[in-house]
Amino acid sequence: MATTTATITLSSSDLGDNALSISNSATLYTAGTDTGITETTGLARKKFATNSNTILLDHGLPGGVAQDVTANKSAKVYIKNINDRGDGTKFVNILLAEVEIGRLYGGDWMFIPWSGGSGKDIEFTAYDTTETTLEYAVFYE
Amino acid sequence: MATTTATITLDSADLLSDNLSLSATMNLNQGGTTATGLEQFRMERMVIPTGTQFDLIEATTAASEDANYMYIVNKNTDVTDYVIISIKDEVIGRLYAGDWMFFPWDADVVALDGNDSAVEAQAYTHDATLEYCLFHNGETRPTSDDS
Repeated sequence: MATTTATITLSSSDLGDNALSISNSATLYTAGTDTGITETTGLARKKFATNSNTILLDHGLPGGVAQDVTANKSAKVYIKNINDRGDGTKFVNILLAEVEIGRLYGGDWMFIPWSGGSGKDIEFTAYDTTETTLEYAVFYE
Repeated sequence: MATTTATITLDSADLLSDNLSLSATMNLNQGGTTATGLEQFRMERMVIPTGTQFDLIEATTAASEDANYMYIVNKNTDVTDYVIISIKDEVIGRLYAGDWMFFPWDADVVALDGNDSAVEAQAYTHDATLEYCLFHNGETRPTSDDS
């Protein structure tokens, strides 16, 4: 079994009256066990220049990675918008099965569990047709 | 303005044939700005019982179509315990004991098939102790009934 850890640190010295410092580390296990996840896409990079809704991780792709991710399994998805932030008006909407989760502005990242299944694709829609680069990785069983 | 950073590190010495070491840091900025940090946050720890889907964070007009970021951690320790996190009744995934997630959140109050963008949570196996922190650009406050 493999040991993969995901650590987050949230910090600010001036958001509140006192300093904010949150840190947590999670080991990526298979569903309901303490056995480490052993499969990953590795880190992938995708460039696109469209503002049409586009599938990033396609559950319906026969033999594709996403097809292995089902609701009763454990999977984690990391996505980062590699673009420069610029003036902060451009972003990529991240969607799950066409439901908008939120906006990844240039430089933003996200890390979520993913319950796959029919139609549960992870999709994105860019603000405009400016070339945008996303990096992503899936850890799954 | 405030400066808040979020850093993720993904590490493994044995998942691949070579070391995995990935790190990314971002500033939590307001939408539509070059580098103006978010100035509001809400943090809470709660226990939710099994059997019911609850709104962990309700959608709010003031934060809709903007930059908001949500951190959630499941503080349970039994590996069989998990919480299903959903938005608009669409399951994002299972947060098992010890797992955390961090994601941008569109606090859209406009109904889609009767659902708004509230972040929903339902515990399975046992009651779940959750902690969350929402970094946001404003919330629409309910008017007091007592005035």
